Amino acid sequence: MSAVPALRAEGLSKRFSTTLAVDDLTLTVPPGEVFGFLGPNGAGKSTTIRMVLGLLRPSAGAAWVFGEPVAEVERAHSRLAYVPADVALWPAFTGQECLDLMAGLGPGTDLTYRAELVRRFELDTGKRARAYSSGNRQKVALVAAFATRAPLLVLDEPTSGLDPLMEREFRRCIAEAAERGQAVFLSSHQLAEVEAVCHRVGILRAGRLVEVAGMSELRRLRRTEVVVDLARPAPELDRLADLPGVVDLRRRSDLQISLSLTGPPGAVLRALGEVDVERLDVREPSLEEIFLDYYGEVPA
Amino acid sequence: MSAGTAARTARPPQVALPPATGPVVGAVSRQLRRGTLVVSAIAGVMPAFVAAQYQGTFSGAVPASSLEALAQNPAIRTLFGPPVALDDPGGFTVWRLGTVLAVLVGIWAALAATRVTRGEEEAGRWDLLLAGRLRLAVLIRAHVVVLLGAAVLPGLAAALGLLLSGTDATGSLLFGTMIAGTGMTGVALGVLGAQLLAERRAASGLAVAVLLGMLLVRMVGDGVPALAFLQWASPFGLLGRAEPFGADRWVPALVLMGMVSVVATAAVRASDDRDVGSARLRGRDRVSAPSRLVRSLGGLAVHRVRRPVITWGAGLAAYFLLIGLLARTMVDFLADNPLFARLAAQAGFVQLGSVEGYVSALFSLLAVPVGAFAAGRVAHAAADEQAGRLTPLLSLPVSRVRWAATEAVVVTVGTTVLAAVAGLATWAGTAWVGADLGVGAALAGALNAVPVALLCLGAALLALGWVPASVLAVGVLPAAGGYLLLVFADTFAWPEWVRAVSPFAHLASVPAESVDAGGAAGMLVVVLALAAAGLAGYARRDLRG
Repeated sequence: MSAVPALRAEGLSKRFSTTLAVDDLTLTVPPGEVFGFLGPNGAGKSTTIRMVLGLLRPSAGAAWVFGEPVAEVERAHSRLAYVPADVALWPAFTGQECLDLMAGLGPGTDLTYRAELVRRFELDTGKRARAYSSGNRQKVALVAAFATRAPLLVLDEPTSGLDPLMEREFRRCIAEAAERGQAVFLSSHQLAEVEAVCHRVGILRAGRLVEVAGMSELRRLRRTEVVVDLARPAPELDRLADLPGVVDLRRRSDLQISLSLTGPPGAVLRALGEVDVERLDVREPSLEEIFLDYYGEVPA
Repeated sequence: MSAGTAARTARPPQVALPPATGPVVGAVSRQLRRGTLVVSAIAGVMPAFVAAQYQGTFSGAVPASSLEALAQNPAIRTLFGPPVALDDPGGFTVWRLGTVLAVLVGIWAALAATRVTRGEEEAGRWDLLLAGRLRLAVLIRAHVVVLLGAAVLPGLAAALGLLLSGTDATGSLLFGTMIAGTGMTGVALGVLGAQLLAERRAASGLAVAVLLGMLLVRMVGDGVPALAFLQWASPFGLLGRAEPFGADRWVPALVLMGMVSVVATAAVRASDDRDVGSARLRGRDRVSAPSRLVRSLGGLAVHRVRRPVITWGAGLAAYFLLIGLLARTMVDFLADNPLFARLAAQAGFVQLGSVEGYVSALFSLLAVPVGAFAAGRVAHAAADEQAGRLTPLLSLPVSRVRWAATEAVVVTVGTTVLAAVAGLATWAGTAWVGADLGVGAALAGALNAVPVALLCLGAALLALGWVPASVLAVGVLPAAGGYLLLVFADTFAWPEWVRAVSPFAHLASVPAESVDAGGAAGMLVVVLALAAAGLAGYARRDLRG
């Protein structure tokens, strides 16, 4: 059973007249994994998700939810719950009616947990949707999705309208879902969010998936920033540039050098051991920097 | 560089620039272009056709005594408007087409007005626009100006068409003015509705309901002399009072323009200092008990169709009650005046001489509003899709086809209920005046129109699958277009196969004749084929929104 991936896409592509919105996307999300789907605006994240939901027809390729082709909506959707980026509700429906509709037609809802979520997200369900702010509409969709026992949650930038307190609640819910063994496909451009909750990340750029890596793997793949303060000038450190894995060696002053390091740091540390180091600052770049790095590197 | 900067800072900043409405005017004009063109073409061509045809057929055939009798008959006046100058091609055209054209132009104008005002505002597109120097009231004013300008064009086209077919110049201009004025009334009501209600749909409904209420006022005023003064409050009543090609009175035209300016001013006033995105009237935002209907697909469809069925039902009941009440007067009159029976037959009303014949003719017309209801429900679903409101629903284990089919089935039931309501209202009216019509006959006649209305549903579903931007236009085509086609085909003796395209050619006059079972079955087969093709397209295409 666990052999069947929660979500699988093979060569998924979508062309809108002349624009190739998603280009040959292939990825697999195993059951129980929290997968971050990163990319800037217009990278094709929502288009990918809408194909996975069967709302858009792929121009090429295919996708499966727990082995069910996504075009088989009734079967595929009985295994997932979805929160759109921009939640539109029928204006005359109250929050409660929206929740009832989604529970009544959805893949099975834990009503006790839903009541708890309504309380935790401080959602006023007696109001009509037209009186809701966009954040409140998003809460309705989040409560409905988290309250399901669907083994896959597809969340498209779900926190864009939430305040920091609610965002914290959201992260708790992701953790609880992961504990229950639900897989989460979380699209976002908020790197801190992805960094906090995801096991693995895929980075989408101009419709192409440029990287899929585990969180730790992703960081290791990228460079470590090292800043060395010296007690006295050490011109021999110029040969650091010849060591494997060292890039972008810079002498900021006679007493300070900086370098970026990929791979194991042993050789660099040995070289530094031979000089009089006053302070050593080793910093792991945030996902944000890794991310920006990608967009700096990959040609358009 | 530095000198230029210095010079610039030395000058006081210019903050009092006039708000830039130019681009707004351009944008609104672009949004209105296509519809205005189509409606103007219809308004220009139809009267010209009828006038030209009249000259070939009836010229001089109507004796003055018959005219007198016709003008005095309340039933004739109620249904077709006051017959004035029927011995003149222009006068005949106004009697034959005036109300239909005025209703068409008025409804189009009201819908266009709510679309470009409340529709845009509801979609959030005005937020960005109003973040600039533009104030809401200024924006509304710019829209009103462009919309009123657009509403003049169909009137101009009607006048031009009549002039070219050789009718009297004053009458043509007066008729064109009244048509334009009705369109402008529609615009003013639409914009006012858009200020009062926060949803485009509701605003459109209000504006159209007021407009059709004004039509009912005209009808009541024509039928009941004591209430004739009410007609001064209705563009349709004023059209009758103006008597184009007869007395050629301009005072009603002035009153109409006055009415337009009062409503338009009220609309602009109502937009002053209200919040963007909100409206003057607002229902309760808090509901104590959630509806229990919305927990299943069928329940959801019933929930969605409930209120429209009630409002359309109320309107149809009022209209067909009036039809029923007029039954005897009408039949007696036509029995006494065979010439007009012939004229009416020419106009598509055959067998008006008996109560059954009379109600049969009007029951076949019932297909137009009921078909519009059915098409409107599908258009509503298409609008929901465009606004992204279907996305949460269709990401549940609910296939598009199952959802759309459920909606269609419930709309079919709603359509049948509406027809039955019209039948019962007619029966109640005839029973009141003691005309001889059984309740079964009335129901049979009304339900006989259902297959044509369902063709509208089928066409709308087809459009939903393949041309989702034009659901309403394609949807009303079988009934409204088919009716016009039959009238034209009969009037101009077009070949039989052209006539056969119209669904009305396959509709028996029930209860005067027995039901054309073959025709009804054929239509239902076409309905199923259209619906199947539409759903196949709907299942396959990308979802919008």
